[in-house]
Amino acid sequence: MPAKTSELDEQGQKMKPGPKFDANRIEPLLRVASLSKHYLQQRTFSRTEFTVSAFQDVDLELFSGKTFALVGESGAGKSSLARCIALLEGPDSGRIELEGENLLALNRKALFRIRRRVQMIFQEPASALNPRLTACELIAEPLAIQREGTQIQQRERALQLMEQVGLDANQERKLPFEFSGGQRQRLAIARALALKPNVLILDEALSNLDAPNQALILELLAELQVSHSLAYLHISHDLRLVSQFSDEVAVMYEGRIVEHKKTHHLFASPEHSYTKELLATVHSVDSILLERSA
Amino acid sequence: MKYFARRLFHATLLLLAVSIFSFAILQLTPGDFFAPMGLNPQISSRTVAGLRSQYGLDRPLPVRYGHWLQDVLKGDLGRSFAYNSPVTPLLAVRARNTLLLTGTAMLLAWLIAIPLGMWSAVHRGKWGDRVGGVVTSGLLAVPDLVVFLVLLLVAVRTGWFPSGGMVSPAFNDLNVWNKLKDVAEHLFLPALGLAIATLPTMLRHVRSAMIEVLEAPFIQAARAHGIAEWRVRFRYALPVAANPLISLFGFSVGTMLSASLLVEVILSWPGIGPLLVDAILAKDVYVVIGAVMLSSIFLVVGNLFADILLFATDPRIRVE
Amino acid sequence: MKRQKKLVGALLLLTAFQSLILFAGFFAPYDFAAQDREQPFAAPTALHFIDPHGNVHFRPCVRNVEDSRQSAGAGRADSGHCFPVHFFVHGTPYKIAGLFVSHVHLFGVEVPGHIFVMGSDAYGRDQFSRFLFGGQISMLAGLIAAILSVSMGMIVGGIAGFYGGWVDELLMRGGELFLALPWLYLLFAVRAALPLHISQWEVFLLLVSVMGLIGWARPARLIRGVVLSAKQRNFVVAARGFGASDMYLLRRHVLPQTYGVMVTQMTLLIPLYVLAEVTLTFLGLGVGEPMPSWGSLLSSLQQYYVLSSYWWMFLPALLLIPLFLVFYTAADALQEIHKTVTL
Repeated sequence: MPAKTSELDEQGQKMKPGPKFDANRIEPLLRVASLSKHYLQQRTFSRTEFTVSAFQDVDLELFSGKTFALVGESGAGKSSLARCIALLEGPDSGRIELEGENLLALNRKALFRIRRRVQMIFQEPASALNPRLTACELIAEPLAIQREGTQIQQRERALQLMEQVGLDANQERKLPFEFSGGQRQRLAIARALALKPNVLILDEALSNLDAPNQALILELLAELQVSHSLAYLHISHDLRLVSQFSDEVAVMYEGRIVEHKKTHHLFASPEHSYTKELLATVHSVDSILLERSA
Repeated sequence: MKYFARRLFHATLLLLAVSIFSFAILQLTPGDFFAPMGLNPQISSRTVAGLRSQYGLDRPLPVRYGHWLQDVLKGDLGRSFAYNSPVTPLLAVRARNTLLLTGTAMLLAWLIAIPLGMWSAVHRGKWGDRVGGVVTSGLLAVPDLVVFLVLLLVAVRTGWFPSGGMVSPAFNDLNVWNKLKDVAEHLFLPALGLAIATLPTMLRHVRSAMIEVLEAPFIQAARAHGIAEWRVRFRYALPVAANPLISLFGFSVGTMLSASLLVEVILSWPGIGPLLVDAILAKDVYVVIGAVMLSSIFLVVGNLFADILLFATDPRIRVE
Repeated sequence: MKRQKKLVGALLLLTAFQSLILFAGFFAPYDFAAQDREQPFAAPTALHFIDPHGNVHFRPCVRNVEDSRQSAGAGRADSGHCFPVHFFVHGTPYKIAGLFVSHVHLFGVEVPGHIFVMGSDAYGRDQFSRFLFGGQISMLAGLIAAILSVSMGMIVGGIAGFYGGWVDELLMRGGELFLALPWLYLLFAVRAALPLHISQWEVFLLLVSVMGLIGWARPARLIRGVVLSAKQRNFVVAARGFGASDMYLLRRHVLPQTYGVMVTQMTLLIPLYVLAEVTLTFLGLGVGEPMPSWGSLLSSLQQYYVLSSYWWMFLPALLLIPLFLVFYTAADALQEIHKTVTL
């Protein structure tokens, strides 16, 4: 084990890996503390169940206007964590606080109101959009559910949002299948913005797009982050993408966060063995490509 | 072993629920076997009450069910009012006949469906398969009722086959070989009818199961390794296709039992069917429940048998 | 697309057939209960275009058969008189869809002539008219029962799939129970519970309800499957993220995915239930006289002499074949279309 992570703090407990900030920092918008979740799985054809841990003891903080990246391979519990933070699933223990308010202790009414502030963009845009609804209906849906404005107002806002994400508002009556993959993801982003959220969770949101589209969507997301003061939680298995687009990175391995630093620190001096492995594969692919092109 | 015990337990629970269900439904009957008798001014109401009490019809429901269940487990299915004899021997004979019929029909149908289905799957899309598909669709559209009536017509018009019953009047005088021939002659049309009625669906399922297997990557791999085609089909494809086919077998038991009811009535085969119909018209309660229970037992046992077969042939199920 | 053409063709044929049945009173020359005791088992009436005087007409006429009772359907034709067939005649009153009364029939002949397009039965009742009217009963039974089954299936399957857990277990186990019984036996058993001497309409309604209510298990299972997979789809999850209630999710996103399955199930269940009603009536356990049903038209075929001597009594059975063919073609086409639509 690398030296720094085996340090003990005042209570004699192992310190978890984390970035060293100073005490005078801005308050986080969203704070996750010691979040854990496990599943019960059943072996096929037998009754015995065994617990599988999705993630354990996760801490993270999201700040307005900043991007926090969560990296790890599939099955490391990242999506499960994302869902918990988006309040789509319930964790087994821990806290989630939005501006100090504990989200897990809310009653139904309060939860309903809070929903608007944390939104999620999914990996596969096609499955995230109901194939039978038009673009306008899709974007206006959150407004309809939260009963905001009249139908006319909702439609107006939907068209506005379409323009904001770079789509032509004249296409409002088209169905999802009539759009390209990149455009569908824009639709999903427009929809997520409808309720003016503070936090946007990007669950592998760029993974299913081809490189040019990835770049375009990244651009859009960067713009929106500034104009709407959004905090992003970017979940990805793609390290290179992450390096371009995040302020902090946390590496997840088998359900636990094993390393958590500011982006350039992590890439410059990784500590955990797994992080090094991840970086190594990126580098090796790069060098293979480099060799080939030479 | 645990798997088998679980299926057995499951089946027993199911049968219990079936018994409660059939008993309950029957008790919704306003009026009973003796009601018309009660309307007859010549028969005193005391006689009717006495008869009712003799057959136990005046006790409360759960009590009657409890007694009945006890008896059933001992093998006594009650007493038929119409025949004035115990139900069990009555049903036993009929059940044997129905089993003979459905068993033969099942055999016939599968003997045709499997080879034909395989052949269709292999020659998929070609002329033979397409013709087969059209014929199957056509046959599917013919209601069972019509099939059986046509067969009856054939029997009556041509006299090639007897048009009813299981044995000829002179049965008892025949020697063993002729006895067998006699039954076979009588069995032929009903079994053929049943097989025709269930064949189209079975054929379709066999064909689609085989197609699915034959398109699987591991089959392509086997071919790529140079394994002979017939070997690929029989040693590789068929065992894997056996899984859905065995499930289909379990399912087909149910449809065949239902269809057997009709064919037995139309072609006068002395199985459970005609007995049930008569019993319903006569409100012979115990016979009706007995017949329904029995057919359910056959269905559940058939499915259990399919489960066991599955267990024996599919190694994946054995891994716990 | 070829499949769509098949579907459209099938649907057109079905609509045509259904209209024929719906306006049975118009297309049928006689009432379904009208008896002509002097014409039992009359063969289908032949149409003649040449009258007794040797003139050719556009309008066909029919000749009376003298006392078919004696000649078993092949009576001597009365060559003296030929009754012309008139169209849009005024005949016995009938009701359209139970509401409007009308007297107009598509065709008919003057008394004492008679026109039996499909022959007559033992009581001299016109089989063609009875076929059309019987269709009303049988098809209605099939339709109502199918709607019942699919509706129940949607409710049960929707709840089971959406809420999961013990509710799902309980409902699916219950469904297994219904599937464990051979359905015809179950139907008969329930029929046995019904009193034998209640009004025919009550028998009809009870029968139809029972058929519908015992057949929910298979549609429920299929719908549950669709609901389960729809529930996981990201657009449902997203809607939940907007704070949508369960009812909203079911109504707006999940249940619309089941429409395809429901329609396919309907096309399969209607013929099945029609056949069930026909079988029951055929065996004397369904609707009885005087309500016509295809089953009662066919029940006389159980007697050998009818079966072998009077071939026209078989016609209703044969006419069922193309009807079911159309239904199954539609069902096939629907299933294929549905497969390509659901990704």
